[in-house]
Amino acid sequence: MSGQDRLEPGQAERLSKEREKDWRKALRRELSLQKRLSIDRQPMPEQESGVRIKNFREVNLGYTQELARAEASRCLDCGQPGCVAGCPVAIDIPTFIKYIEAGELEKALEKIRETNGLPAICGRVCPQEVQCEKDCNLVRAGKAPVAIGHLERFVADYLCLREETGAAVSAGHDRLRRPEKIAVVGSGPGGLTAAADLARLGFRVTVFEALHLPGGVLAYGIPEFRLPREILHSEINFIKSLGVEVRTNFIVGRTASLEDLRQAGYRAFFLGTGAGLPSFMNVPGENLLGVYSANEYLTRVNLMKGFRFPEFDTPVPRARKAAVIGGGNVAMDAVRTALRLGASQATIYYRRSRAEMPARAEEVKHAEEEGIVFNFLTVPVRFLGNERGELQGMVLQRLALGEPDSSGRPRPVPIPGSEFEVEVDLAVVAIGQSPNPLLIRQLSGLKLGRWGNVEVDFRTMATSLPGIFAGGDAVRGGATVILAMGDGRRAARAIDEFLRKG
Amino acid sequence: MNRVVLVERLVPNLYRLVLEAPEVAASARAGQFVMVIPDEKGERIPVNLADWDRQQGTVELVFLNLGVSTRKLAGLKPGDTVGGLAGPLGRVPEIPDPGAVLLAGGCYGIGGLFPLARELKQAGRRVVFLAEARDPAYLYWEEKIKKYVDDFLTLFRADCLGTGRELKELVEEIRKDRPDISLLMVMGCSYLLFKLSEAGSGLGLKTMVSLNPIMVDGTGMCGACRVSVEGRTYFACVDGPWFEGRGLDWQEYFNRRKAFLSQEERALARLDREFWKRME
Repeated sequence: MSGQDRLEPGQAERLSKEREKDWRKALRRELSLQKRLSIDRQPMPEQESGVRIKNFREVNLGYTQELARAEASRCLDCGQPGCVAGCPVAIDIPTFIKYIEAGELEKALEKIRETNGLPAICGRVCPQEVQCEKDCNLVRAGKAPVAIGHLERFVADYLCLREETGAAVSAGHDRLRRPEKIAVVGSGPGGLTAAADLARLGFRVTVFEALHLPGGVLAYGIPEFRLPREILHSEINFIKSLGVEVRTNFIVGRTASLEDLRQAGYRAFFLGTGAGLPSFMNVPGENLLGVYSANEYLTRVNLMKGFRFPEFDTPVPRARKAAVIGGGNVAMDAVRTALRLGASQATIYYRRSRAEMPARAEEVKHAEEEGIVFNFLTVPVRFLGNERGELQGMVLQRLALGEPDSSGRPRPVPIPGSEFEVEVDLAVVAIGQSPNPLLIRQLSGLKLGRWGNVEVDFRTMATSLPGIFAGGDAVRGGATVILAMGDGRRAARAIDEFLRKG
Repeated sequence: MNRVVLVERLVPNLYRLVLEAPEVAASARAGQFVMVIPDEKGERIPVNLADWDRQQGTVELVFLNLGVSTRKLAGLKPGDTVGGLAGPLGRVPEIPDPGAVLLAGGCYGIGGLFPLARELKQAGRRVVFLAEARDPAYLYWEEKIKKYVDDFLTLFRADCLGTGRELKELVEEIRKDRPDISLLMVMGCSYLLFKLSEAGSGLGLKTMVSLNPIMVDGTGMCGACRVSVEGRTYFACVDGPWFEGRGLDWQEYFNRRKAFLSQEERALARLDREFWKRME
């Protein structure tokens, strides 16, 4: 997809109409381009690494109002912004940034929320460096891109945490009431976004969540040091304030079937059931005590608050030497969690090289600052245990990069005779997840792809079954929060059209 | 919100808990379980469904008071709410035709097998129930179960201790008088599962066991409950909890159930201290 294709219908016109408003013109004149270009990217204040590895508080502390305004004034407010096209939910980025520069924070948040129901979350977990910030025109001028993520987070935090329910911002919308009930299955980023957009369109929306807390991967997967739970609660409360009902402990496919819900009057469905099926490596010793899927390890810590055991009842393994296998965001989360839980050594083992690591740049930077050891081009071939079945070590093999595989990345090839042994008492397998089959395998006629993923038409997120739409990791396998949100957004529009057609 | 309707001690250390859960009751099938969270700081634990009432919208659980979570559940009062309840979970066991089914339960498994006895009987199958307990004082639900079974047998400790008889002989004896038994289904403590699986398989009798490994989410998301059957890994929560006992890696199963033993002991000691502090 080229940049312009990714803009929503009519968006180019809307962007330029906003840009031509008088206040924007005036603001552009306030500082010369040269002045704007001479301002350096404002660094994100952080907890110092020696301190933060002993707690679960957020690493990034957030911009102050001064930092935010300085950063916002770096934005050139260009006529052909690259940022918007890079955003999977097509936020009108220049307008919200200029509102920050003008000190109109409420308006900035309102602008973001027109297309993004979860700004405080996206500002924290989006891989901005490959999305909005990648095509910032400052990069072409040889400068660091505008810190769009940091600014989004600033606006959201500044206002969301103050609002009781977030209703103040949404109240202005003139909402049309629609009689149809819509069921959203799964309360992760895709489901929440679909729910928010559908509620704005006037539908009656119920989100069904299998776990006891809403948020999906935002609640069980992403640690508090990246996404504090009060931020998540505040965002979910905002979505509830739009009229969305969230039902936890409700497993669609078990507690009630999709057909039961149809009988109960739900007219359309969004399946945002996520990638809740952990992959293992299928190597000997993988079921030893001390070998965990990243899902289990992180769920114990994040969702169940095991890091506060025994105040909370769910125990978590405490390791001296922790090994995490994988190179994505989940692997970074797991290895940094192990460090915070007291491991004297926490190590990443990744089968490709640094350049291929799919983790967000900021996570890798933070991990390195915290003293995480990175071992590239290595893969475990066997886990070693004692007579009680407890993990004691692993045998690793070295790899070399070969020809590109189907993903376009160089395929790692084992080097014969390169095996070596390391001592570990915790191993977390973070090599990916595939879609959770619990519900989707029950729906006869639902077309699935090679990895058990739901097949959709990506323009509408429609599945092979009429009235059933899907998005996020259930469709993509392991993707990102923002791609799931983009899916939810497109699905909401398509559901609206589907119901209009009757 | 799942309100507590009733908590009662059936026999020492075994409790019956009735909870409001209309949707779970409406979908419940014999042999399934639910995930329960005792309170807002609690763990998610799997508990077998021992009964349900679709009209009243309630489900019944029978459990052994053993650790922090079950102690918290046992201490609930009518009108309290639990931290969460989700289900029904697990695959409904596939029961091959024809023949009689021998249901063998011990501990919480006596209650946990009750729905299977009822469902099989209502489907027209012959059902033999073997209840295992320390001694007659530890037996519960005898009358309730007898309504749905053709034979109600008991196995007490005195029947085995000192007699030198192996469980295998006992199963053989049961089968001698009832040659139509084609399936043995076992629920209860791990040791009972293991011994009866050994006995049944040794006699060429198909034996299914209801496994109870550590779980976190119970929906196939985490893999805490992985078990090995004939060298392949399964998740007990979504692939089970019923497995054929023959090919199971029992040593691994016993090991994995003890994964957090020291933490569990610590947490229980802490709960005890809090309890005594309140009593002072």
